[in-house]
Amino acid sequence: MNSSNNDSCSNSTSTNNSIGGRDLGLYFLDQARLCSAAAPSAMDEAEAEEAPTELNTINSSGGFLVVSTDKLSVKYTSVNLHGHDVGAVQANRPAPFKRLLYYFEMYVKDAGVKGQVSIGFTSESFKMRRQPGWEANSCGYHGDDGLLYRGGAKGEPFGPTYATGDVVGGGINYASQEFFFTKNGAVVGTVYKDMKGPLFPTVAVHSQNEEVHVNFGQKPFDFDLKTFEAQERLKQQATIEKISLPPNVSYEIVRSYLLHYGYEDTLNSLYMAGKSTVPPVSMNQENGFDEQDLLYALSQRKTLRQLIRNGEIDAAFSRLHEWYPQIVQDDKSATCFLLHCQKFIELVRVGKLEEAVKYGRIELSKYFSLARFEELVQDCVALLAYERPMESFAGYLLEDSQREVVADMVNAMILSTNPNVKDLQGCLHSYLERLLRQLTACCLERRSLNGDQGEGFHLHRALNSTMKANS
Amino acid sequence: MSLFWIVIRQLAEIEAMAMSKKVITREEWEKKLNDVKIRKEDMNKLVMNFLVTEGYVEAAEKFRMESGTEPDIDLATITDRMAVKKAVQCGNVEDAIEKVNDLNPEILDTNPQLFFHLQQQRLIELIRNGKVEEALEFAQEELAPRGEENQSFLEELERTVALLAFEDVSNCPVGELLDMSQRLKTASEVNAAILTSQSHEKG
Repeated sequence: MNSSNNDSCSNSTSTNNSIGGRDLGLYFLDQARLCSAAAPSAMDEAEAEEAPTELNTINSSGGFLVVSTDKLSVKYTSVNLHGHDVGAVQANRPAPFKRLLYYFEMYVKDAGVKGQVSIGFTSESFKMRRQPGWEANSCGYHGDDGLLYRGGAKGEPFGPTYATGDVVGGGINYASQEFFFTKNGAVVGTVYKDMKGPLFPTVAVHSQNEEVHVNFGQKPFDFDLKTFEAQERLKQQATIEKISLPPNVSYEIVRSYLLHYGYEDTLNSLYMAGKSTVPPVSMNQENGFDEQDLLYALSQRKTLRQLIRNGEIDAAFSRLHEWYPQIVQDDKSATCFLLHCQKFIELVRVGKLEEAVKYGRIELSKYFSLARFEELVQDCVALLAYERPMESFAGYLLEDSQREVVADMVNAMILSTNPNVKDLQGCLHSYLERLLRQLTACCLERRSLNGDQGEGFHLHRALNSTMKANS
Repeated sequence: MSLFWIVIRQLAEIEAMAMSKKVITREEWEKKLNDVKIRKEDMNKLVMNFLVTEGYVEAAEKFRMESGTEPDIDLATITDRMAVKKAVQCGNVEDAIEKVNDLNPEILDTNPQLFFHLQQQRLIELIRNGKVEEALEFAQEELAPRGEENQSFLEELERTVALLAFEDVSNCPVGELLDMSQRLKTASEVNAAILTSQSHEKG
């Protein structure tokens, strides 16, 4: 029995609608809230990293060097006497690492008396009076001898020397876990990166009159980083393409997607087309999905989706009462709640504000006292306050995506009424969605095993970068 | 290669990787799965990308109507591309080459690897049809010069010509060249090249 202020959902209706007492529809309530302004995109937050923009004047070895006022160049002011009066400067932030590559450049304005300029990466605790590479947890490519130093007095042969007028770059490839260095637009070499932790882009000057300018991306690089990045991605792509998949597996996944969400017309088109391809598509029954469950109530789900996408909520309600009364029986369920909200939203959309108010009084007022519905119902009602509700903070409710959530919810609820359904969770997520979740989670896990370095997989980003490439 | 395939393959790659040992309970993993945020409209876009890349024009149209998803390329360009793909899949490589050049002569010009694979497919079809003399002539005149320029082309050429050495091609080491899968591979390559050139045209 439920008291009126018990906000947990009712189990008294058909148990088909609940997983362990939890209303299946609640999942969609969360989906609806995902788009609201109050919900920060957790993914974006986790991925946001600040990049170096200028040189750090606070911890640099003052006394031996001077940094320009724009903090983008440094000059050696002392007379080089020994190995502990190097003028090394780090960037103001460590290299961001949730990406494929990081890169920065240094232009040698003046190689001074001895040409002992260098570029590299150092850890936070680096002794700023030493050349990058001369201490543990640092690496540096030195201009005077062209050697690479990574923790020790002895360098390894690496690349050409460089001096006045040269542009050298230092980069980190998180996929291959390597440092790479360039000179005048060409890669001179790579070396394995076994340094862990935040790494600061570092430049150093060591003899009289030496001066270098740094570029953290505020102007175009000398080196064609974009092409280099594309080539690295191609390498990854090549590894991926070597993997063989059962034929037609994509076709079957798409088919199951269309079945799951009730896109009947598309499904039929695809089926007909599949029969006339060369060779005709034949489906492999062993791929682990049982069509029968997904064929359940296909036509009806299609009809309901169309009605909801068109905003015809009354018609949707009446069909549901006719075909699946158990879904709309409990007024306190998430299903009824979201449908009522959508009806309200549709009235606001066409400007029928008086009718909306009336409807709200009859149907929405009961939800104000239920904690889990409170936020959304408040947002709905707030729409009334604006002349241009679309532009308000609650404007997300007027978008197509909101109708989509309701349509998907009704779809899942109908699927759950199938007496043969074995797994209620399966009603919520199509196979494609499950695969995508698995992929995203695996990529994140792999990255975390890699010290959280490198790219994760985000469907949204992947789609948008393809779109950009195609436009 | 549609984005769809890329996504599915990535998953296969990860699952195939041996990772350093770390124990994750089922509960922990399910929580991580549930924390992933996937937008319905992004999944719709992915499916649309599949329909369009594979050339299911009508299905793409229907999907646009049923889901409100806009295709990322012009559906009108699909039929031409599909005609080329089908020609290769049926073994009509000469026809396919003509059609590609009608669409955009630059595609084959700027894609020597693709052109070589198409020529290689032609050779395979000649051998399949028992036209031994024609095959040899074709190999010598058209393919050998390409082989001289490029080591991997030479290797491919040698593999293909090796087909002629066997009475029973179904059992020979290079027999897979006669498989449908070889035609499909070539068809896929030409499909991708046309898609790329069409998307560059737009931008």
